[in-house]
Amino acid sequence: MAIRRISLLVVPVIMLLTLALVACSSPTPTPVPPTAVPTDVPTATPPPPTTVPTDVPIPTPIPPTSVPTDVPTATPVPTPSPEPTPNPFEGVRGIVDPTNLGWPREVEGLNGLVSIPSKPFRIITASVGHDEMTLALVPLERLVGVGSSTKNSTYSNVASLVQDITEISRDPETIVAQSPDVVVTSPFFSAEAIDALSRTGVPVVQTELKHDPEARINSILLMGYIFGEEQRALEFAKEVSDRHDALVAITSEASPRPRVLALTQYSDQLWVAGGNSTEGGVILAAGGINAAEEAGVEGNQTTSLEGVIAMNPEVIIIAQPIEFGAEEFRQSLLVNETLAELPAIKNQQVHVVESKHFTTLSYWNIRGAEDLARLLWPNEFPEPSTEPFSLAE
Amino acid sequence: MRSIGLATVREYRGMGVTSRLAIGLFVFALFVLTAALVSLSLGPVNISPSHVASIVLSPLGLDFVDFGRTEQLVIEQIRLPRIFVAALVGAALAVAGTTMQGLFRNPMADPGIIGVSAGGAVGAVVAIATGLTGLFFLALPAFAFLGATAASFLVYGIAAVGGRFSMATLLLAGVAVNAFLGAIVSAIIILLPNNEALREILFWLAGGLDSRSWEHVQIAAPLILLGVVITLAMARDLNLLMLGDDEARSMGVRVGFTRPLLLAAAALATGAAVAVSGIIAFVGLVTPHMLRLILGPDHRVLVPMSAAGGAVFVIVADTVARTIIQPAEFRVGILTAFVGAPFFILLLIKNRRQVYSL
Repeated sequence: MAIRRISLLVVPVIMLLTLALVACSSPTPTPVPPTAVPTDVPTATPPPPTTVPTDVPIPTPIPPTSVPTDVPTATPVPTPSPEPTPNPFEGVRGIVDPTNLGWPREVEGLNGLVSIPSKPFRIITASVGHDEMTLALVPLERLVGVGSSTKNSTYSNVASLVQDITEISRDPETIVAQSPDVVVTSPFFSAEAIDALSRTGVPVVQTELKHDPEARINSILLMGYIFGEEQRALEFAKEVSDRHDALVAITSEASPRPRVLALTQYSDQLWVAGGNSTEGGVILAAGGINAAEEAGVEGNQTTSLEGVIAMNPEVIIIAQPIEFGAEEFRQSLLVNETLAELPAIKNQQVHVVESKHFTTLSYWNIRGAEDLARLLWPNEFPEPSTEPFSLAE
Repeated sequence: MRSIGLATVREYRGMGVTSRLAIGLFVFALFVLTAALVSLSLGPVNISPSHVASIVLSPLGLDFVDFGRTEQLVIEQIRLPRIFVAALVGAALAVAGTTMQGLFRNPMADPGIIGVSAGGAVGAVVAIATGLTGLFFLALPAFAFLGATAASFLVYGIAAVGGRFSMATLLLAGVAVNAFLGAIVSAIIILLPNNEALREILFWLAGGLDSRSWEHVQIAAPLILLGVVITLAMARDLNLLMLGDDEARSMGVRVGFTRPLLLAAAALATGAAVAVSGIIAFVGLVTPHMLRLILGPDHRVLVPMSAAGGAVFVIVADTVARTIIQPAEFRVGILTAFVGAPFFILLLIKNRRQVYSL
């Protein structure tokens, strides 16, 4: 009897110990497949630290003279021009030494100084906006993990591209399992998770995406620098900048500028987008006056029906996913007797717009501005906005 | 000045119940009316006081200046229902708080003890997370109310044996159920896949009265008024229960009936309040406590005065919340906690020795 009792105790203990040993000795859950390394990359082995990179071509817009004079160049032939062309990475916030186009290189993130030892081929970013930016700068196969939101077409402008990419969560373990060479995160990524990732040796750069044109270009150049894709970053920054400028060239001349209110409703909550909001930036780029900003609202704030009346919009845009009742909300506004005297209601100027073009912090919000410009100025923009942005090859 | 104030309070407490009630009701009716009128006059849409008065009096045919249709709609369809909901919620929370502090004989007791707030939170979070709030607009208050009442029944069910229970067991059951329900809310928040729903939940938990309509008044008013009326009717028994169960029984109180009934009334009122406002902190704790210091511990006076005081507190807090950063809005639940918590601490420090002497 006693032996049986002892065995009843001992057997589970042995089983537990065995399980613990198995768990400790088991390999990394997701081993890095060697085929994941892009085929067009000469080698996955990081090159030795050099001042001038051997695997990164000097960006074409930068003539050879743009390489800093204190850096030994491969061809010491004197250039005909005495004035060097300005380095396009000079002044990009976050780049510590814009003359250093080799590896390792340092960037100043929101989380401090980060050294990236070699050109990263396995990249993870932990926000939709960063994923959208990344796919414009590097080939798809270099993005080795995305969050569920990036795969969700309600929120993401690149959802169709990333369905086959491994899904990661905020748990650092899911990120480490993908053996990333670099992780770029938003300010909303927890400091603890950044610390945990950093302790595994993964360089983590926390950067903030902002909606204004200058910050947008800065983000493209900074991320291009982080990924070692300076030339592509310069090309893409030009593409984005040109597209924005082409739009603003028309919208800034159009008049009279209508008062536009970006309004959403989730449950009982009414939200407006004021100054310094993504939607607010889109409204300004499209040539409208942000009614909420004019009323003193900063950022995204809750309001009441009375607040909407006080803001007196001529156009209301609902940048809310259809799945979250955008059309029902539009209908409720149009039939609300309290709002009947508002110009936007009287003139039936209440529009449901593609929310992911208006709320993303990536360059995709230019598409939002184009969408809105077509609503506000149909004569100036007779064609629908369908032109995609280029992707990295 | 302070001695005059104390003398006035002593003099007031020395009066008969009827006199105290009459004076108190008169004073608080003035407060409620003033708060409501001020609240009615303030908002993002600028409406002059004469227009406000004229709009309010127009149903009686006493309007004296012309006003715009939009002004009338703003007053009648936006501000008035919101003020009514604020008054009802304030009254419900303060009366429920008075009941809890009396039953537990503890000035730290509030309606949340019996799990009403946490239960309401679970109901609301489930409604938001499952997307039911998008299907019909009363889903949120309905689920919050169901959650609130279910939680209070659960706490009572755990504590009661054969219809009898001790307050200590009830308190412990409340602590356990609150913790469990809090964990459910946390789990849903963590597992929620979309940011919009997450934002809705966080805002609901912070308490607010924005977008309240006459439908919300219709939902909350009968339940809250029933809870308040039951508590008023049992105010004398509540006084006697504070002396202890044996003393109360010896004076004719049916303890086994009165106490659950008072708890049910508090749960009903709080559940209805939570359903239409989310979690508004400190009203149920501060209002009765503060009024007890002024009016004394007699629940025949304290219960109706708490109802009026709570109404004033929430009307004023909501007016500040919706005007302080207008046309944007602040959350009234955050504001009541910002104001209530330091005020409560101040009261505790100033009156450490004189609280609770029946």
